[in-house]
Amino acid sequence: MNPKAIGKKAVHIIIYFITFFVFIMPILRLVIMSVTVDYGYGLDNFIKLLQEARTVKAIINTIMIAFFSTLISVVLGSVFAFIIAYTNIPKKRFLETLVLIPFILPSYIITLSWSNLLEKKALINFLLTSIGLEALNLYSLPGIIFVLGICNTPVVYLITIHMLRKIPQDLEWASRASGYGIFETMIKINLPQAMPAIISGGMLAFLASVDNFSVPAFLGISSGIPVLSTYIYEKAISFGPSAFNLAAALSVLLSVIAIGGILLQGKCIKKSSGSESIKEDDSIRIMLSDKVKNIVRYVCLFFLILINIVPIITMVLSSFLKNYGGFKIQNLIVSNYEFVFTNRGVRQAVFNSISLALITCIICIVIGMVLAYLKVRKKSKVVLVMESGAELTYAIPGIVLSLAMIFHWTMLADVYGTIKILIISYVTRYLILQIKGCTTAMLSVDASMEEAAMVSGSSKIRLWLKVLIPLLKKQVLSGSFLIFVSALTELTLSSMLAAAGTKTIGLTVFNLQQGGDYALAAALSTVIVMVLLMGYLGSHLFGRKKVNRNKEADSTGQLKVLKLKQAGVGR
Amino acid sequence: MSLKIEQVSKYFGDTAALNEVTVEINDGEFIAILGPSGCGKTTLLRVVGGFIEPSGGRIQLEDKVYSSKDCHVPVEKRDLGMVFQSFALWPHMTVREHIEFPLKSKKNRRMSGQERKQIVDKAISTMGLTKLAERLPGELSGGQRQRVALARAIVAKPKILLMDEPLSALDAELKISMRREIQDIHKITGATILYVTHDQSEALAMADRIIIMKSGQVVQMGTPEEIYLKPKTKFVAAFVGRCNIINGAWNNGNFYPEGTNIMYDGKGMADYFVEEGIYPVRPEEFKLSKQGEGIKGTIVNRQYNGREIHYTVKCGQDYFTVYENEDCGCRVDEEIILIKKEQKIAGHY
Repeated sequence: MNPKAIGKKAVHIIIYFITFFVFIMPILRLVIMSVTVDYGYGLDNFIKLLQEARTVKAIINTIMIAFFSTLISVVLGSVFAFIIAYTNIPKKRFLETLVLIPFILPSYIITLSWSNLLEKKALINFLLTSIGLEALNLYSLPGIIFVLGICNTPVVYLITIHMLRKIPQDLEWASRASGYGIFETMIKINLPQAMPAIISGGMLAFLASVDNFSVPAFLGISSGIPVLSTYIYEKAISFGPSAFNLAAALSVLLSVIAIGGILLQGKCIKKSSGSESIKEDDSIRIMLSDKVKNIVRYVCLFFLILINIVPIITMVLSSFLKNYGGFKIQNLIVSNYEFVFTNRGVRQAVFNSISLALITCIICIVIGMVLAYLKVRKKSKVVLVMESGAELTYAIPGIVLSLAMIFHWTMLADVYGTIKILIISYVTRYLILQIKGCTTAMLSVDASMEEAAMVSGSSKIRLWLKVLIPLLKKQVLSGSFLIFVSALTELTLSSMLAAAGTKTIGLTVFNLQQGGDYALAAALSTVIVMVLLMGYLGSHLFGRKKVNRNKEADSTGQLKVLKLKQAGVGR
Repeated sequence: MSLKIEQVSKYFGDTAALNEVTVEINDGEFIAILGPSGCGKTTLLRVVGGFIEPSGGRIQLEDKVYSSKDCHVPVEKRDLGMVFQSFALWPHMTVREHIEFPLKSKKNRRMSGQERKQIVDKAISTMGLTKLAERLPGELSGGQRQRVALARAIVAKPKILLMDEPLSALDAELKISMRREIQDIHKITGATILYVTHDQSEALAMADRIIIMKSGQVVQMGTPEEIYLKPKTKFVAAFVGRCNIINGAWNNGNFYPEGTNIMYDGKGMADYFVEEGIYPVRPEEFKLSKQGEGIKGTIVNRQYNGREIHYTVKCGQDYFTVYENEDCGCRVDEEIILIKKEQKIAGHY
């Protein structure tokens, strides 16, 4: 064998090893833990769990919450998609931005903002109780369902609106010419065409609900409503006898629900790949009269502001209040912000989250680029193995992954309990996003460009510096931006893996809220919202400028698809 | 008894897609609307269909006003059927469901189930779709899809059939056979057909009359023979079939090509050509000759096409096209004379 072949073999072995060690083994360990019992292996853990009333309740709650919140997301998402895709209402871009707000913000901030709005003494409940009605309690099953429904609406909306725009207008016209009015046509022709997209959006929303930890953690733990994700968390941190084995068994149960959903969803997507055109058609299809148009517009506007803006504003307002202070001018203080900006713990958490996000991005970019290069240019099949591994750790619920991480990485000293475990977990979780992003970027650069550079005498290093990196930069970074934002506001993984000194922003907000420091939690969340909004605004402006210069690259589209995937199975 | 389109305009922003179009179409006529892309032909069709509201003008079928300043009848209330370039079949419906669809609309509410079934069965068998009745569009070939689209458009017996380039998605072979089917449909239904196309041979072959459009305006309307043999402008002459435009001078109804001592008979030629000092000659009206009087030129290209041979001849600054049925033995770079059939020697001019 010549040295080159040996080198190639070595690369293969390394990739196989990493895939197995980083992506497969943690999950195997989790499964093994779940069947480990005192005398060896058996299904005792599962039997024991299913005999507990609380487990059964958690399973039922999980499915109930996922089902009904999905219903809310599907109704809201598809109705807004229909209105914004087809009618002639003005200022659609603004409305769309309003619909997408829950996409930009982490779900625990949305939860926090709603819990501020529906506080016992706050305006809405004050009004309700004063006219003799019962106060709305967000810390309840309907509360969790409602917040998750709002959080997942954008997923359904985005998938549906793209599909709606892809339905050729000819199909509608053919129906009109056959004697059917526009609304009849919508129901008989457009709705059946959009159905696969709505269903697959619903499946994604369902998965996101099953996966979600933040919302039931914020609203369900204190009020004693167990769902699988929070129950796993409680079990794992309880340190009782065989606590980890039981948590592992619960994780297997949750993963079965999640992976079952993913398989179903894959089926729906395959079914939908039918007749739609590739191009999206933005033209107006439903002409509403001026009067109806304005009614629809203001109803939408009012509704969206009510569900997506008012809670945030309430949260911002209450961040200026003393705890339990009520809305009085003399209660207005900035000491909450003083705390946020000066408290050592908070500063440490902000520092941790930013460094974690940056380090994760850098590692993901390096690995992602190498893998994408091997995959696209060298046609290496081995990379697919690693990609599948990364897909697996992305598909399983976050709380399950964090448990698997604990089981696996404690075998190495000096990992668990340090920031390293968080870095490893984040990379394991988010790597697939970067692999996909880099692959798309790589595919858009023709091999001939590289060859041209080689022919004109560039060295390998110059080739990368002068040709590849400038060409790939934008698309690769748009993928990383997504990872950065997710890692920055992450809660699920860090809730299990962070130790004293390695707490993250998300965990700090969680702890503040659980400790009853609502105003402080609101203040920190307000800062996060501001940073995120500025980040998105900046990337939007930056992105737009670039798009003008380089028309063919559609990074926003790619970003959207990645975000969809992420929202679907990531959060 | 006719479809009247009076001074219809349509503006998209500042650009006029239709500019004061006035056309009167007789009952049962087959009208082809022909023009280059962007000429407004599709817009005209959509305005008649009611898919687009015109900016001004009036559309009237018999005594029913479809569009005017203060009324716009929606598509579903107009008496029409439409066939699309993309076929526009609904992926979730079978062939039978497609053909039933127009009969189940509010317009045909009173039809009994049995009557409906009879009509649908007949339409299915007429279009040769009996064996395919339960299939979905995805399982049909291009020609079969077009038959379904045609059956759907005619089953409710509309007065007007709108066709938007219905053959352009088919391959060349199928195009020719579908032409015949569309002609048959015209004969059977007796509907007025508005047929938009950019393919001049389709228009010439099928239409009773042709409307030639350019930049949102009707340039000429007439029978295929009139359009081909008596074009009114250089644009029509060049768009419908190939045409050589000869420069020269007009005198007393005769045309004297520049730099020659021959003359062409100008009888029936439109004023436009007289004013412009030009004369249109079809490629097949020229003959190549090695001697005689005519326009002198040099052959720059020769293409053998089987039935005929196509030559490109350079005469001064102009390039003319000539179709010859027989091989005259002329070769590239050879200097020859272009002789128009029935030309005369002018003597002194």
